[in-house]
Amino acid sequence: MKIKYIQTLGIVLTAVYGLFIVFLYAAEPRSLEEVTTKAISAVESTVNKGQIITGTYEIDQARFGEGLAAFRAENYVLARDRFERADPEKRDANTQFYIAYSYYRQGWGRVTNDDALFKAGLEALQRLPVIDPDFASKDPDLKLRTAAELRNEFEEGLKVTADDFNPFRLVRERK
Amino acid sequence: MQKIPDNFEPAADTEKIVDVEIVAEDGGSIVERDDRRLGTPAADRSLTSAGQRDRKLAVRLWIFLPALFLTVSLMGGLRLASPDGAFVFVAPALICLIFGVVLMGLYFRGGMVALEGWFSDDFSTTQDVANAGVLVTLFAASVQVFNSVIPESGIPFWVVAFCFAWTLWNNLFAEFDNKKLLKSMAALFAFAFVAKYIILAGLTAPATDGGWLRSMIENPARETATWLLDLPRYSSGTGYIQFFCLLLYFVGLYLLPRSTISEVNR
Repeated sequence: MKIKYIQTLGIVLTAVYGLFIVFLYAAEPRSLEEVTTKAISAVESTVNKGQIITGTYEIDQARFGEGLAAFRAENYVLARDRFERADPEKRDANTQFYIAYSYYRQGWGRVTNDDALFKAGLEALQRLPVIDPDFASKDPDLKLRTAAELRNEFEEGLKVTADDFNPFRLVRERK
Repeated sequence: MQKIPDNFEPAADTEKIVDVEIVAEDGGSIVERDDRRLGTPAADRSLTSAGQRDRKLAVRLWIFLPALFLTVSLMGGLRLASPDGAFVFVAPALICLIFGVVLMGLYFRGGMVALEGWFSDDFSTTQDVANAGVLVTLFAASVQVFNSVIPESGIPFWVVAFCFAWTLWNNLFAEFDNKKLLKSMAALFAFAFVAKYIILAGLTAPATDGGWLRSMIENPARETATWLLDLPRYSSGTGYIQFFCLLLYFVGLYLLPRSTISEVNR
């Protein structure tokens, strides 16, 4: 083997081994089994980021379908899990809207709302204007179609006003 | 055969083929033969072996040494948690990077690494990049060796870091040669290793599942020392890993040539 090839091989091996060490220190796996899991996750994340840069990023439609089915079955925890897996890079406005909406539906109460879930929903909703400021959902099942309407529901639900003590609140419907 | 006079000096033309036998004054003989005459079987064998030697040196310099130093870099920050033995990767503190830079300065000043022998306009770009790669891995390994032997937190961290700073600062102004520098570094790191992995590890109370109160009842003195000195509880395997980390680092330093010109570019 020529000396130049050995030098090139040395450079390549050094770079690969160096990157592997950087990955280990960044991912901090706690066991050898976890090294594989974290490596797969890192590769998936890198591929997704590459797709975003090249404009070819797409959500996992199968997982999105599972999330939607769980959402319609009112299993909001499962729905959020599937939506988050379908859109790991949080780049799809529709999926992010469903995630925020799932917090609203799960946290809504006829007498009182769950403040923690409403706050989480409000936080999830903050991503939406960054992705698509003019987003409007096409799902006829959702009565709140835009981020502004959903945000208003969250904010009103978190406030304590005299209207909260109105007995007619008991007959209101979840949107 | 030609007898070499006492005042003999080699000719400037080093490519000249010579066939000489050096005869010592006391009658004993030291044979220095060079049979590299083109066209003869001996010459062919000699050239082949020279080529093999160059390849061997190249593999050692550009593949084995970076791999060795990178392994040290990997092991230097690796600890095993107690009691489950899970991996804990400790990134180096900023002070370790500073010490690493000072140590590299010492290697250059002490002549252990001659910069002009690693980077030259006469080298190809590939060789310069490969050489830079080796020195970068040496720096990474040096940083991680400090990370290995300096305690992670608390008073021991400051005491050991101060001792290192003091020693390295003094060494910067001392006259060194290669061997003295290597011995000095080996002694320094060995002392720090003993302080951390034998003395301080001996003071650290083992981790228990019974909580703080149970630990205090079972091991009051060591539990108090652990709390006062803010000592991390690592599994005993950590000491073994760091021992081999230090050993590999010094093997790497021993194998590291002063200059790549004398190694392969002859």
